[in-house]
Amino acid sequence: MTMAEGLDSVALRKRLAALEAQAEEAREIIDELKSRDALKTQFLSNISHDLRTPLAAIITHAEILREGMLGDLNPRQRQSVSGIVNGGQQLIDMIDEILTYVRSASDRVSLIRTAFSITEVVDQVKLLNEALSARKRLTIERLDGDDIPPVYADRDKLKHVLGNLIGNAIKFTPDGGRIWIKLARRGEDGDELLVEVGDTGPGIARDHYDLVFREFAQVDSSPSRPHHGTGLGLAIARKLVELHSGRIWVESELGKGSRFFFTVPLNPPRD
Amino acid sequence: MAERILIVEDSTLVTDALAVLFEEAGYTVHSARTVADAVDLGRDRHFDLMLLDLTLPDGSGLDVLDALRRDKKLPRVTLAVTGHTDDDVRRDCLAAGCADVLVKPVPIRDLLRQIERLLA
Repeated sequence: MTMAEGLDSVALRKRLAALEAQAEEAREIIDELKSRDALKTQFLSNISHDLRTPLAAIITHAEILREGMLGDLNPRQRQSVSGIVNGGQQLIDMIDEILTYVRSASDRVSLIRTAFSITEVVDQVKLLNEALSARKRLTIERLDGDDIPPVYADRDKLKHVLGNLIGNAIKFTPDGGRIWIKLARRGEDGDELLVEVGDTGPGIARDHYDLVFREFAQVDSSPSRPHHGTGLGLAIARKLVELHSGRIWVESELGKGSRFFFTVPLNPPRD
Repeated sequence: MAERILIVEDSTLVTDALAVLFEEAGYTVHSARTVADAVDLGRDRHFDLMLLDLTLPDGSGLDVLDALRRDKKLPRVTLAVTGHTDDDVRRDCLAAGCADVLVKPVPIRDLLRQIERLLA
């Protein structure tokens, strides 16, 4: 070995040792971040549960008053008490959304697959949203879908996805607008269900197509933004669709509206 | 005689609200905060309906049902209440003998109607 070669191998060994030390440090940081993330998840879950309990009591008390069980209310009093019930219910819905997110993000979540009619689920979600959409004079219609065979999937979770997409469309579409749900089969053997939820809302800029599916992300996150919420609805929808090995995405034109799409396999997965 | 309801719930805020509701609706109301208290009360007297929270400081609400069943002191009807339900929880509760599983806060009109029907 020449002197130069000897020096090179010493230098190489030193470099290798330094790299190994760096890798070890990186592993430690990753472990630390993972355990902090788990703590944060646990905190979110606990705090959501603890917030729910007193809110449930507030809503029940307010309902008792609103129903006149403790004496008649005049119209102004009833309006005010109704405000407490509605505000409380809105808070409960947001807390539930956080709980659903925490659950869908954890490793514990699993799918309970059964065969069911997707058109029935769409019609149910439509019905659940009727009061909200009527308040904004929005029309919601289901287009096609009567020829879709039963879907083999987790009914509650797909209902949640549809609820979030339709709820989002109602929230962002201005008064008098239109929302539609389109169902189709696609894929080579028609073995995939494609669901489209479209609206005539403000639309989403192409730069934000990915952002809207990220947790806690809102295109306008300023305190003065016109639409409030947890910013979790679409992140949850994405997680639930991906659990089914499906895909979710958005296509949109600013000022004209948005079309959200998701796919799920129609048939049981082949193991 | 007024029908008797036992509220098993660890939050006194929730118990107080439900007590107002049931008393106004004409029922006699008792309450327990823990599995141990609920089992003691259930052994002591007969209840027509038990509203059973599933998460209690000293165990699961379903433990109350097990203990009272052993002593043949089950209320006529038990309704489970929980903050968050999924299919597993529902199945366990129905298997344990609950008539239904409700999510807090239960809209009061629905709750009163359901209780009236179950006790008819």
